[in-house]
Order: sequence, then structure tokens, then C-alpha cells
Amino acid sequence: MNSSLIMLEISVIGLGLVLMLADLFVPAERRRFIGYAAIVALGVLLITSLSGNGSCGQFGTAFGGMFINDGLSLLFKQLFIIAAILVLFMAAEFSDKLAAGSVAEYYSLTLFALAGMLFAASSNDFTMLFVSIELITITFYVLVSFQRSKIQSLEAGVKYLILGALSSAFMVFGIALIWGTTGELNFTKLAAVAPQFADSQMFLLGVLLVLVGLGFKIAAFPFQIWAPDVYQGAPTPTTAFLGIGSKAAGFVLLLRVLFTAVPSVTAHWANLLIVISAITILYGNLCAIPQRNLKRLLGYSSIAHAGYLLLGVAALSASGQSALMYYLAGYVFTVMAAFFVITLVMRHLPSEDISGLAGLHQRSPLLAATLTIAMVSLAGIPPLAGFFGKFLLLKALIDTAHLTHNHGYYCLAFTALIGVVISLYYYFGVIREIYWGKNPEDLSPIEISSPAKLSLAICLAGIFWIGLFPDTVLNITNLAATALGK
Amino acid sequence: MHVSLHHYLFVSFMLFSLGLLGVIMRRNLLVIYMSLELMLNAANLALVSFSRFNNKLDGQVLVFFIITVAAAEVAVGLALIVALFRKRQSAHVEDLTSMKL
Repeated sequence: MNSSLIMLEISVIGLGLVLMLADLFVPAERRRFIGYAAIVALGVLLITSLSGNGSCGQFGTAFGGMFINDGLSLLFKQLFIIAAILVLFMAAEFSDKLAAGSVAEYYSLTLFALAGMLFAASSNDFTMLFVSIELITITFYVLVSFQRSKIQSLEAGVKYLILGALSSAFMVFGIALIWGTTGELNFTKLAAVAPQFADSQMFLLGVLLVLVGLGFKIAAFPFQIWAPDVYQGAPTPTTAFLGIGSKAAGFVLLLRVLFTAVPSVTAHWANLLIVISAITILYGNLCAIPQRNLKRLLGYSSIAHAGYLLLGVAALSASGQSALMYYLAGYVFTVMAAFFVITLVMRHLPSEDISGLAGLHQRSPLLAATLTIAMVSLAGIPPLAGFFGKFLLLKALIDTAHLTHNHGYYCLAFTALIGVVISLYYYFGVIREIYWGKNPEDLSPIEISSPAKLSLAICLAGIFWIGLFPDTVLNITNLAATALGK
Repeated sequence: MHVSLHHYLFVSFMLFSLGLLGVIMRRNLLVIYMSLELMLNAANLALVSFSRFNNKLDGQVLVFFIITVAAAEVAVGLALIVALFRKRQSAHVEDLTSMKL
């Protein structure tokens, strides 16, 4: 067995445990600085995993094929670590809103969730899929309800708990049916026998139930009900991590299940994917229009983005999968930038109402510009990351439409374009509030600490770099997409 | 009477449906949570019976994982429901209305 492959995961879990212990020895008022130590450690792990000698750089399988390291897992692990680093920065800024001295627990829970995501990126077996997704979900129950003194936070936690447990019950039952009919849990072995069971109702029901569980993670229609409430109620750093990490983990598992485990079934389900993707885009964008709470608005926008990402899945082609990953890479930096600004501007306000942004361009031009760029990128305007991602997704979709002559694809592409137009309205509503908001209550300048400036710079650099120089990232995502078909 | 795989699966489907019905119909958080556990155990029953009739042990191992994960989920979930109860003095879903539009 090749246990050196999971060194990265072991290091992250070890780091989480060390942070928990450090909590005992560090006085409460200095605990937020533990986070900076964790950021440095994660940065080292990121750099070692990028280099060829790191545990992620060695490709191969471990634990009897349950755990796989390939181009796909490498790409997603890097995204997860970057997201976790930015979340830790955000949590350090947010620490005075958490219960006194509990921020170290928050850091270690973030790292445990990260470990779950790293395992999810590498899972090649339904057991691994279940355990890693539960590690993420259960940690997030705690992270969502972390502000125990706030009723919204608890309520969000309970809603996430009930719907999360429901979706995992569906998924477990689905896994039971798949295993019962085929006798295989391993994705690679399952792919070999799956075509024989193409007519088995029980097998197809099993696959459908697993997709229900994953659909919940990515907040796709009709399993998106939890997203707005949980996004609104959760502490802002948790919301950011939920919107990136949890969603990306759902997508990497979705890609593995659909294209590695049951490609023979997926090929027949194009229309299902088209319909789900189209409804998700329309639902997210239409419901976001009347929202006044910024986090709730981003919750609906994240549903819409799950729909855009599903375009890449529905395209059923390597270029679609590659576009999906490219879009996710840009989405990480964009959403992190948006939530970072929300953390800095709104942590002292009772709610995250959009009117709290009024006068931001006078209070802090940097934050105003960052949030504007994030919104413009989410809306998909050139030359930022969001535009090129959407372009690639639509291109992959049209290519598939030409190949298969399925008119559903043209309708889906048209729906996505309509979604983009609708989304312009509410994203620009946010920008209007920043620059032309009426009656700002508070015009005192906002002080930004230097770690916060650093992380804002990372986000902005990411948005521009991915948007202006797509080639580097596209090479990586193309490589990752080839790992799926094997 | 000979008890076959289909009988076990039928019971498992029934348990799963009852659990789902409970989640949808009941209004008390604790009862909903109980129903969720019922759904997980329905899946466990299906896995164990598949394992018994197909002479493969993977399913039984997976059941251990599911039981462990469910225990962790219950620990976190009950703590959360208790925290909410102390804040709200109620465990009914109708009272979860602090966030709208």
C-alpha cells in the first residue's frame, strides 16, 4: 500500500489537532493569531503539493483503489487549500464576533472540513465518497451554527442539519442499491460492470439517489431549498467556505460518479442534466432579484452558479469538464473577494442589508473596488475570470449540440444567456448601492489590517490572472479532465 | 415460508418510506430527527441483506461506517437542537422563521 499518497490529508488533520491543543495554552485574547500560524502551515503544504515531489504530485492509488491521486484530485486539492487559507484570514478578521476565545476551535473545524474536501477530491469508491462527504457536512453543521448567541445562526444550523441528514440518507440508500445490484463499490471496477445493469431499475434508482445526495451539496434544483437560509444565517467565513469548498467537493464527486463510475448511464441522462441545469439557473437568478440581504442574495446567486457549473456536466465532454473546473477556479477567488468585503464592512452591523454598503466608496475605495470587481466577475463581464469561464462552458455546450443534434442543448445555452442578463440586474444593484447609495448612516473610514489587505490582493490577483491569462489554468484543467475518462 | 432477499428489501423500502413520511409530515424537530435515523437504518438493513444473499462482505463493512457516521451526526445534531431549544423554548419547525425573503 502506498500510504505516502495521503501525507497531505494526514498533515491537515494533524494541523487541526495541533490548533485544538494550542487553544489550551494560548490566552484568549491572542488566539486569533493561531490562525496566522495555520495559514503559514497551509501555505507550505500548498507549495509542496504544487511541486512534483509532494504527496499530491505522485499519481497513483492507495487503500485497494479507494483513494486516487491524479490530475483531477491535484487541481481540486489546490483549490481547496487556497479557499481554506482565505477562509482562515477571514475568520481572523471575524474573530471578535465569535464567542470569546472560541476562534481556535473555529480554525481547527475549518481544517477538518478541509481534510474532508481533500479526501473527497481523491475518493474513488462509494465508501470513501460517503465518509468524506459526511466529514464535510457534519463539520459544517457546527461551523454554520457557530454563533450560538445568534438565533439566525442556530436556525440555519438546524435547517442545514435536517436537510443534510435527509440527503445523506438518500445517498446511503442509493449506494446500498448500487452495491446490491452490481456488487462493486469501487468506481473503476463499477464502470466495467455497469453496462450490464443498464436495464436494472434498482441500479438506476440507486444512481439517481446518489445524485440526489450530491445535488444537495452543490445546491442544484430541486435540492436548493436550504441554501438561502443557511447562507444568510451562518457566520460570514463559514458562508464563504460553504459556497466554495462544499460546492466544489460536490462537483468533484459528481464528476467522478458520472464520468468514472457510471459513464454508460450518464450518456442516457443528458436530458435530465439539461433540465436540472436550466431550472437551477433560472430559479437562482429570478429569486435573487428581490433580495435585500447581501448574503442571502449571494446564496441565490450561488444556486445560479451551480446551474452554470452544471452546464459543464451536461455537455458530457472533456471540454465541458475542463470548462467547469476553469469556472470553479475563477469562482473561488471571486466569491472569496465578495465575502471578504462583506466580513470587513458588515461585521459590526446587525444584519447584512444592502443599504449597509452605501457610501462605501468614500469609506474605503479599496473595498468598494474589490466588491465591484467581484460582482462584475460574477456577472460575467470581460476581461474578468467569470466571463471567460461562462464563455468556455457555453462553447463546450454548443460543440456538444453540434455533435449530438440534441436541440435541448441550444435551449439550455439560450437559458444560460437569459440567466446572465437577469443576473446583471441584481449584481449592478449592489454596485449602485456602493457608489450611489442614498443616506449612508456611517461615513467613518474602515480600517483594513495588513493580513486582510494581503488576502484581498490574493483574491484580486486571482480574478485578473485567471481572466487575462487563461492558458496556464486551461492547461491544468484539460489535463485534469483527461484523468476522468480513464 | 422461505424468506428471500425480496422480503428484506421490501421491509427496507417500507422503513425508508416511513422515515421519509415522518420527515415530511411531523412538525417536531426531534421526531423528524428520529425519522432520519430510521431512513439511515433502512439503508443499513438493505446493505446487510444484500451482503448476506450475495456472499460479499463489503456491505457489512460499509454498515459499520454508516453507524459510526450516524452516531457523530446524532451527537452534533442533538446538541444543535438543544441549543436552539434553549434559545427558543420550542422544537417545532413552524418557529424557525427568523429568516425570510
